[in-house]
Amino acid sequence: MKVPVVCPYCGVGCRLYIERTPSGYRLEYADDIPGIPNENGRLCPKGNAVLDLLSKDRLRKPLKAKEEGKFVEVSWGEAIKEVAERLREIAKDDPRQLMFFGSAKTFNEPNYLIQKLARMLGTNNIDHCARLCHSSTVAGLKAVFGAGAMTNTYRDIEMADVIMIWGHNYAETHPVGFRYVIKAKERGAKVIVVDPRFTRTAWFSDLFLQLYPGTDIALANGIMHVIIKHGLYDREFVEKRTVGFSELKRTVEKYTPERVEEITGVPAELIEEAAVTFARAENAVITWAMGLTQSVHGYDNVRAVATLIAITGHIGRPGNGASPMRGQNNVQGACDLGVLPNVFPGYQAVTDPEKRRFFEEFWGAELSGEVGLTTIEATHEAEKGRVKAYYIMGENPAISEANSKRAIRALRKLEFLVVQDIFPTETARLADIVLPATSMLENEGSLTNTERRVQWSFKALNPPGEARPDWWIVSEIGKAIGFTGSGARGFNYRSPEEILREINACTPQYRGITPERLKENLAGIHWPCPSEDHPGTPLLYTERFLTPDGKAHLASVEHSGPAEIPDKDYPLILTTMRYVGHFHTLTMTGRSELLRKRWREPFLEVHPDDAERFKLKDGEWAVVETRRGRYPVRAKVTKAVKRGVVAIPWHWGANVLTNDAIDPVSKIPDTKACACRVRPVSEAEARKLLDELREMGVVA
Amino acid sequence: MSGILIDPGKCIACRACEVACEREHGRSFITVFEFETSAVPLNCRHCERAPCVEACPTGALFRDGDGAVLVDVKKCIGCNMCVLACPFGIPEIAGKIMVKCDLCPDRRAEGKLPLCVQTCPTGALTYEEPSEFSMSRRKAYAERLALRRAENAPGL
Ligand code: SF4
Ligand code: SF4
Ligand code: SF4
Repeated sequence: MKVPVVCPYCGVGCRLYIERTPSGYRLEYADDIPGIPNENGRLCPKGNAVLDLLSKDRLRKPLKAKEEGKFVEVSWGEAIKEVAERLREIAKDDPRQLMFFGSAKTFNEPNYLIQKLARMLGTNNIDHCARLCHSSTVAGLKAVFGAGAMTNTYRDIEMADVIMIWGHNYAETHPVGFRYVIKAKERGAKVIVVDPRFTRTAWFSDLFLQLYPGTDIALANGIMHVIIKHGLYDREFVEKRTVGFSELKRTVEKYTPERVEEITGVPAELIEEAAVTFARAENAVITWAMGLTQSVHGYDNVRAVATLIAITGHIGRPGNGASPMRGQNNVQGACDLGVLPNVFPGYQAVTDPEKRRFFEEFWGAELSGEVGLTTIEATHEAEKGRVKAYYIMGENPAISEANSKRAIRALRKLEFLVVQDIFPTETARLADIVLPATSMLENEGSLTNTERRVQWSFKALNPPGEARPDWWIVSEIGKAIGFTGSGARGFNYRSPEEILREINACTPQYRGITPERLKENLAGIHWPCPSEDHPGTPLLYTERFLTPDGKAHLASVEHSGPAEIPDKDYPLILTTMRYVGHFHTLTMTGRSELLRKRWREPFLEVHPDDAERFKLKDGEWAVVETRRGRYPVRAKVTKAVKRGVVAIPWHWGANVLTNDAIDPVSKIPDTKACACRVRPVSEAEARKLLDELREMGVVA
Repeated sequence: MSGILIDPGKCIACRACEVACEREHGRSFITVFEFETSAVPLNCRHCERAPCVEACPTGALFRDGDGAVLVDVKKCIGCNMCVLACPFGIPEIAGKIMVKCDLCPDRRAEGKLPLCVQTCPTGALTYEEPSEFSMSRRKAYAERLALRRAENAPGL
């Protein structure tokens, strides 16, 4: 029997089948399901390697630490009892001493449960990895359009005449989604790529705007300057559906292409051409990702880009819109279900007394109206001893947090750390209790891709050892803490379906997305879906925006550089990136032989002139240093990066270098730009340094 | 006869084709070469007038019903003649015999596409008749031209 599942990696949310054969399991392509995001069942290399998640070193039994990194096996009963008791104890003192991490790598149902658990314990300290990738998108789009999600679908990208890809190596991070760009291009669409690196995505560009990391606002303002000056904006749309145009006009007036060229390094003519091309297009979309969002002014970056979309009227019609691309397969779902410190499921503010009253009644518990901590803030509070316990579901902050050495210090300082995961991660090494979870293929539930498309993934394999589904673990802990009420007032769940029905009842956008409908319709349903007979909403804002007055609120934002700029001691700008064959902190892809042998190790990309200046040789070892750490890596001399910029993939642990300065609104760290220096080192020295970092637990 | 057509203009060097082929065959019979501004995937072309078939002294190379060039492992003596003859450098001697792309016969038998074609995210690989391919290309180009005319036509 072929079981339909959803790929456990990126936000495209590709479908595939797992089939049981006499000799084990095999993967089959879902080429017979109409309307799925990966047309004709196509998969990228990660999707092709999903069966390697069955790798031998999966966590099989609950573990309890005797000392750091030394564990003994315990029974589920014992592990749950201990976690419940410790959480209850700490919550009794002050629930704000607890921090919970949900996971963009697991289903909607366990994410719903973990935020419910945090909140019923009395705290809104709940967050997940979206903080490090798209929190600025969520906040920025909400400010301009009223909601934080992608406004359209992959189909709309295929239908566009101009596709602007901003700070997003689309071809490498979402290969199957990139198909829609290629199809548009075949039809004659123009592609504009904005990136500090000449990426594989840039191979497909008609216009390539190579800006310095962290100068996005200046570029967006420069483009808007040209559009307004030549009267190329959509007058009718601006008048009827937006507010704030005159202020915007005043703000961007000083961003002449010449001045913007000085700030961004993008030639003035290219800025003009991009502006005219984008504004004149009948249908146009902008897609973006970490290059735009991971910045101390990520919130403003997103608002500037959203404003550019709004003044050209490229939204609310087929073939148009704003498409932030989510990295993990369920970032959207985890956000939707309230795994964020400021909102309940469905983006209902915890500070809104009415919404709070609803959930108090619904869950039968008194809830906090105080906005909770974000991940980086929790790290800083833990360092000060004010947060005492973390409950981490499917996350690896030891490698993924900016300035990871500091994150490790904070983790070590905790009184109690629970890690629930499928593999022994760097973070799990520091845990007091490790809970073995099932992978996405061994479990079932709903998840929401980049396009707000909710799909059901079925159980295809049996879990190893005593590994248990995330929803089961969280509900057992909830019950053991004493939340034994019936229905929504407790944690007595028998299946993920039951949990999804509870989600339907309290999350307006998901009201009509029932388990029955999802199981019948493998292509899924786009939220908002307000009732069971509603077909779902692929395209947002056709008539009004979700802001209180229904209009787009144009943002006038000024350029400011990254938190750290190059100087005498640290003369280069460091930016981070990813490889197509790897995912996140390597916990999953690093265990696949098929992937590991093709993407063996990280390389530092350095321009030939800088290589000469700093005596780096292609293929030889270098050390990159920032104010936060040192990281040895082999150099790759390439013109893909601009002079003055170096780039490094972050999977292996380059976050020892990155800056944890955060955006004041979205609290996203400045991971994409910091000051650094480089120098050649001997292989022996490099290896020694790597061993030291590994010992510290900050590299994979 | 259908074959795998490669459009390097669409390849993003993701190497999904390699991973898929290796998963099924234990090693990959397609290789993706990456350059600074493009990538070229390459596998056996199953040539109409295949130099490897002509060069093979033992007649180990043969064609199946779909025209795929296959190796009869019992007849192959690992002499390297095919390696020398192939203009694309496709045949490899693994252990003692030649191995190469077999166009996924089990899948073809079930009416499915070869794995690398099925998985390729961008459609850089297609499995079709070259004449079909050139016809669809011609048509797409003509349509683009016509569209441009239509856009500039007044009063339409
Ligand atoms: S594109 Fe994303 S969802 Fe699709 S196969 Fe690759 S990793 Fe999985
Ligand atoms: S799967 Fe397709 S796009 Fe990817 S490397 Fe192979 S041919 Fe190129
Ligand atoms: S057709 Fe089959 S054997 Fe040949 S390269 Fe593609 S996947 Fe490999």
